[in-house]
Amino acid sequence: MKRVYVSRDMASVALGADEIARTLAQAGCDVVRTGSRGLFSIEPLVEVEMPEGRIGYGPVGAADVGKILDGTHPHRLGDVGALPFFASQQRFTFARCGITDPLSLEDYAAHGGWRGLDAARAAAPQQVVDIVKASGLRGRGGAGFPTGIKWQTVLDAPDGPRFIVCNADEGDSGTFADRMLMEGDPYCLIEGMAIAAHAVGASRGYIYIRSEYPFAIDTMRAAIDRAAGRIAPFVIEVRAGAGAYVCGEETALLDSIEGKRGQVRAKPPLPALKGLFGKPTVINNVLSLAAVPFILAEGAQAYADVGFGRSRGTMPVQLAGNVKHGGLYEVGFGITLGELVNDIGGGTESGRPVRAVQVGGPLGAYFPPSMFHLPFDYEAFAQAGGLIGHAGITVFDDTADMAQMARFAMEFCAVESCGKCTPCRIGSTRGVEVMDRIIAARDAAPVAAEGAAGGYLGEALHSRAPSRIDTGIEAQTALLRDLCDTMKFGSLCALGGFTPYPVLSALDHFPEDFGAPAPIEQAAE
Amino acid sequence: MTFTRETDHGTPPAIATGKSVTLTIDGAQVTMPEGTSIMRAASLTGCSIPKLCATDNVESFGSCRLCLVEVEGRAGYPASCTTPVADGMIVRTQTERLKQLRRGVMELYISDHPLDCLTCPANGDCELQEQAGAVGLREVRYGYDGATNMGQAKDQSNPYFDFDPSKCIVCSRCVRACDEVQGTFALTIEGRGFDSKVSPSQGQDFLSSECVSCGACVQACPTATLTEKKVVEIGTPDRAVVTTCAYCGVGCTFRAEMRGEELVRMVPWKEGKANRGHSCVKGRFAWGYAQHQDRILKPMIRSSVTEPWREVSWDEAIAYTASEFRRIQAQYGARSVGGITSSRCTNEETFLVQKLIRQGFGNNNVDTCARVCHSPTGYGLKTTFGTSAGTQDFDSVMKSDVILVIGANPTDGHPVFGSRMKQRLRQGAKLIVIDPRRIDLVKSPHIEAAHHLPLRPGTNVAMMTALAHVIVTEKLYDEAFIRERCDWDEFEDWAAFVSQPSRSPEAVEPLTGVKAQDARAAARLYATGGNGAIYYGLGVTEHSQGSSTVMAIANLAMATGNVGREGVGVNPLRGQNNVQGSCDMGSFPHEFSGYRHVSDDAVRGLFERKWGVTLDAEPGLRIPNMLDAATEGSFKGLFIQGEDILQSDPNTHHVAAGLAAMECVVVQDLFLNETANYAHIFLPGSTFLEKDGTFTNAERRIQMVRKVMAPLNGYADWEIVQLVAQAVGLDWSYTHPSEIMDEIAELTPTFAGVHYARLEAEGSLQWPANEAAPHGTPTMHIDGFVRGKGKFVVTDYVPTDEKTGPRFPLLLTTGRILSHYNVGAQTRRTANTAWHPEDRLEIHPADAENRGIKDGDWVALRSRAGETALRALITERVAPGVVYTTFHHPDTQANVITTDYSDWATNCPEYKVTAVQVALSNGPSHWQEGYAEHSRLSRRIVPLEAAE
Amino acid sequence: MNDENAVMSTADRLIYMANQIARNVAVMGQDEAAAMVEDHIRSFWDPMMRRQIVALAAERPDALSPIAAAAVGRIAVHCR
Repeated sequence: MKRVYVSRDMASVALGADEIARTLAQAGCDVVRTGSRGLFSIEPLVEVEMPEGRIGYGPVGAADVGKILDGTHPHRLGDVGALPFFASQQRFTFARCGITDPLSLEDYAAHGGWRGLDAARAAAPQQVVDIVKASGLRGRGGAGFPTGIKWQTVLDAPDGPRFIVCNADEGDSGTFADRMLMEGDPYCLIEGMAIAAHAVGASRGYIYIRSEYPFAIDTMRAAIDRAAGRIAPFVIEVRAGAGAYVCGEETALLDSIEGKRGQVRAKPPLPALKGLFGKPTVINNVLSLAAVPFILAEGAQAYADVGFGRSRGTMPVQLAGNVKHGGLYEVGFGITLGELVNDIGGGTESGRPVRAVQVGGPLGAYFPPSMFHLPFDYEAFAQAGGLIGHAGITVFDDTADMAQMARFAMEFCAVESCGKCTPCRIGSTRGVEVMDRIIAARDAAPVAAEGAAGGYLGEALHSRAPSRIDTGIEAQTALLRDLCDTMKFGSLCALGGFTPYPVLSALDHFPEDFGAPAPIEQAAE
Repeated sequence: MTFTRETDHGTPPAIATGKSVTLTIDGAQVTMPEGTSIMRAASLTGCSIPKLCATDNVESFGSCRLCLVEVEGRAGYPASCTTPVADGMIVRTQTERLKQLRRGVMELYISDHPLDCLTCPANGDCELQEQAGAVGLREVRYGYDGATNMGQAKDQSNPYFDFDPSKCIVCSRCVRACDEVQGTFALTIEGRGFDSKVSPSQGQDFLSSECVSCGACVQACPTATLTEKKVVEIGTPDRAVVTTCAYCGVGCTFRAEMRGEELVRMVPWKEGKANRGHSCVKGRFAWGYAQHQDRILKPMIRSSVTEPWREVSWDEAIAYTASEFRRIQAQYGARSVGGITSSRCTNEETFLVQKLIRQGFGNNNVDTCARVCHSPTGYGLKTTFGTSAGTQDFDSVMKSDVILVIGANPTDGHPVFGSRMKQRLRQGAKLIVIDPRRIDLVKSPHIEAAHHLPLRPGTNVAMMTALAHVIVTEKLYDEAFIRERCDWDEFEDWAAFVSQPSRSPEAVEPLTGVKAQDARAAARLYATGGNGAIYYGLGVTEHSQGSSTVMAIANLAMATGNVGREGVGVNPLRGQNNVQGSCDMGSFPHEFSGYRHVSDDAVRGLFERKWGVTLDAEPGLRIPNMLDAATEGSFKGLFIQGEDILQSDPNTHHVAAGLAAMECVVVQDLFLNETANYAHIFLPGSTFLEKDGTFTNAERRIQMVRKVMAPLNGYADWEIVQLVAQAVGLDWSYTHPSEIMDEIAELTPTFAGVHYARLEAEGSLQWPANEAAPHGTPTMHIDGFVRGKGKFVVTDYVPTDEKTGPRFPLLLTTGRILSHYNVGAQTRRTANTAWHPEDRLEIHPADAENRGIKDGDWVALRSRAGETALRALITERVAPGVVYTTFHHPDTQANVITTDYSDWATNCPEYKVTAVQVALSNGPSHWQEGYAEHSRLSRRIVPLEAAE
Repeated sequence: MNDENAVMSTADRLIYMANQIARNVAVMGQDEAAAMVEDHIRSFWDPMMRRQIVALAAERPDALSPIAAAAVGRIAVHCR
């Protein structure tokens, strides 16, 4: 009986993987469902076990099964791992993803699983924290805060129950790494949490997964059941989110787990000291926790050896949007934006020139190709007015209207705002209105600003008109900048605070879309 | 410009750690307790940071973003409300950059706010308006044609305040006040983002929601979104007088806010030590009775109760009163008259009434309504501890670890303290409830009792002894405390008694109906859970064994060492505003002020020298004994100040017969109450708003009552009593209540340090306040019991003679609800009737079904004493076999049902246990109809002009 | 107690009260309890009530319980 591998990842299933798997099974194959390897242009992908190794075919359909099994299909890829897209990666976190059966404990152990946890449990908690510190691992959720220091705070907190919370509320557009890992290698996350639990003395953990990820929720629950004995006495529970973007903010997420309306808490107190149910809590992103087993298994140095500047280790970059080779690309920090978009991603899918890429989700900045020399690094991006965030890169071609993109950012914030703080609650709605005025003014022939009706009475009446505002481009653009300033520095959390990144970067790099002259450097190109 | 407001420091004080930090704020070095917010620290040093969502009676929230500051070495602009001070911190609160950010935020606020300031009820009293000025906003560049939350319908369903959502700035102060201060969790923010809206419960209006109208949300609101209807009607106040609430024994301090001579609103005062800035629907809103048209403002007399009243001049009324009492005494003897002091009136007024009886009438026939509520407390705590009062202040509850509530329903009866208790319970203190009913505390949002022991009414003593049995037999008592503070031999006698197997939870389970293992668990928790505090109410005292239960409670507290420090103690929740005070002032027939027996020659000598008369050394008559003596023919004249014994006292038939047998009944009251139907002289009373004086609350706290407006009836009550005293020939010449208090202080050692100047300086004083305790005594028995050694009293369980049987198979117990107060004379004359227009009979579904009773049906309620009718409310709050009603409405007269049984030691009536039968009926009983007609006839008034 | 609507006469009530006090302190033992009842009645009952109970004790010797009777007997000695 022929053994074949077909991904059961949600993205692969959406492309028809289930039907292929069914057909293969009917054809008498032993079908192993794996996670996704992470390159969507070759999905659905079927790998056939051959004496020389696994031979991939993709993209393929159910009708192709005959040709796949007899080895004649034109989309024969050979050893998938040897494809340039994969060969150039440094898969520390995603090493098993796409290769193993996600729920097979034997597979997990056979591919190096649990070595990190065993190493951790052989060491004292402080030693484990020290190893994580030495690895240079920083929070992969976006903020980039050193994970080891966060753990240290929890470890040092006064006695009492403490919790490990995994933030799997992956809400950024164009990001999917958390989901891929949870569907493709759930034990890796479980192992990471168990290590964290040992390091800080927690006995209970929660994984907060957004409800839009039903496969991930099912997979994690099944995996937790099977691994319960391995991680005992540590216990993990999955909590399904209720669909609010803001619940990806760590304190709102804690409120949500506690059964309250998900609203951002003011800090301090830090969740590390007063987190879930008011107790010391490690709250980390999926990718941060999933990076830990490698660090413990291979040593801090192996991880820290890779990277750039103060950004150590690897980052699972997610390429999406209008890009030829979308997918997950795990690589050490320092690779340039241009390499990622053009070399790895292969430029736009539409074949038109790249106009902008947005890095870090819907709240990330837009970068023009003139900035493609930027190295992928927390500090370099911050300096350039952007952020790495969860490392989602969305590519746009030259048909994108950047004023509309700025409007979209404001609208996204308005839709997702929890409504607690004023800059975000009112500011985002006003931002949409300002953008509408800018776009209207840009698209309209220039006319004199609506003036007073004339005469003393007219002037007096106009002075009381509620809509007595200057709707010209310059005034509205100035207002947009002031609004962004209020939101960026006034907002309680990153939702309102980061919305100005896409807005201002669009305005700064693509002023022509806002009815202003193009910037000189771009015009000079 | 408005009158001075209280300073709002923005965030509550830090939880004391004893440590302090030093930092620099705007160039000035300041030292603050650790944990203080930058906002509060700045405010305390006199520099005010703009703010909207912060207010110092709820935790900081950090949503408005106006209070951003710069902290050297820190990125961004932290919110000063949520950022604690730190050593060496350098904070700047006023910079150009901050102004710019604050203006940006304010510009957003105003872009979604109506510009109708000039016609807004909060004009001049609006924090949004004030802060817009403070940040210098001059322009809103967004215009006003964008998305808006304006134009939403107002919710005017609540009788006392309006909710205008179009003015809401979504600061959540109302929601947080409801959660944190009141603990009702009735408000929420619905929707997200721009659509976030304050909403009562699940999209209901305020009236039909869970809202209890405590007013905390209205007080918290920085705009005109939640506004008192009176402010809408009258305008914003322009002056304020701080005074004490005249409702329950919590004794909340309020600012009576006035516009001219008109009272606009009552606002709880943050400095009030009993209420700490909180209020309930009664004190906050239900003061309209003071101006109600039913108030009688002219004195009236009549020669017989079948005649109409005749309005007369004050001179005539006073002279007639004096002549009648002198006539009766001449005819029937010195002991044929007496008086009843009022727990609603001030200490000074109460003191004068008992002085009138003792000095003027020459006997000790004076009693007070405490007879029917907390007389067992006086007896029980005096016997065991040596003082007739609770041991703690209210703040103490915040240090309790285990709270045992027995026979009290604080969230209805003492709502402001109830909220305080709930705060502590939400912080994690454990709760034990011993009550036949499932009161709200048993399970309410974020609170659940660890144990609810739903005992059968009348079995308190057996229950408390069973708890003692567990504590003693399992050796959970505090031997060191007992050896040091109590008489060890007495303890051993008591311990031997409670250890008898017949006292065990298992043995009494058939009697109490409480599962033995629950009783055991509760006893263990109380004895071993840390600071254990017992709070109790009339469910303890109003029984045949009321005094025994009080002593059983005291035994339990002593045995576990839970007396003499903060967080513990025995805490009676007193019913009326000044019931503690009226007892303190010598209102009982056997005691002078300060609880000293009339037979004590030294004490009596003190009074005799001061008053220049010989005083009776024999105890006088208690209220029921007066009524008995009246029906016997030996008691003929009664002066009743501010009390309605016909409605409030048990067995109405007995009370009516007693009153009807008297020749002169004087009623001094605001309204023609039920007792006045049997009166011959009516002297109009004054409200607490119309006089100066003091009230003493349940924590022995003496607080000032200040005159807010002139008495509508012409005189304060103390002046009226003085006029009567002068008319009977006494040489009284008080010109101000302070002089009365000076006399009290001179004659009463525990009050020796209580003078108005001291009260003004201290805000309030808890007695004993004297040379030994110049600042008063928040916690009693700290270094030893007042009586010396704490006394363990063996409390045998003697069942009541009021027993159920085939004819009367159910047990009736009575109580109060939140919106009404006592006999309802005040609250029934306010919009509080919106919540409780009638008394209802709570009955368990099983008992209702047996009798074919549906919810809302009229039912006849019959006991051995009488019968009345009211409508049924079917609920599982009461256990099968138990029915419950309130006694707020004279139409129902629940006391027609209650019996003559009373506490063995004090004659406190057994209101809480009456055997009854319930059956369907067509409507009011014959008695009710007859009484209604009698009332109508008795209330006819011939006006002064016509009479002349 | 029967099931009839009842308002006690004053005499019945005084007897009931004395017996009730006695029952509630009976656990102390006959002598101490009688002393206790005596003290209680002296402290809290007005002189006329005391005279009445003394008279009642004579009129209706079986109405009072032994403890109450003993207490009232001691009061009678001082009640000329």
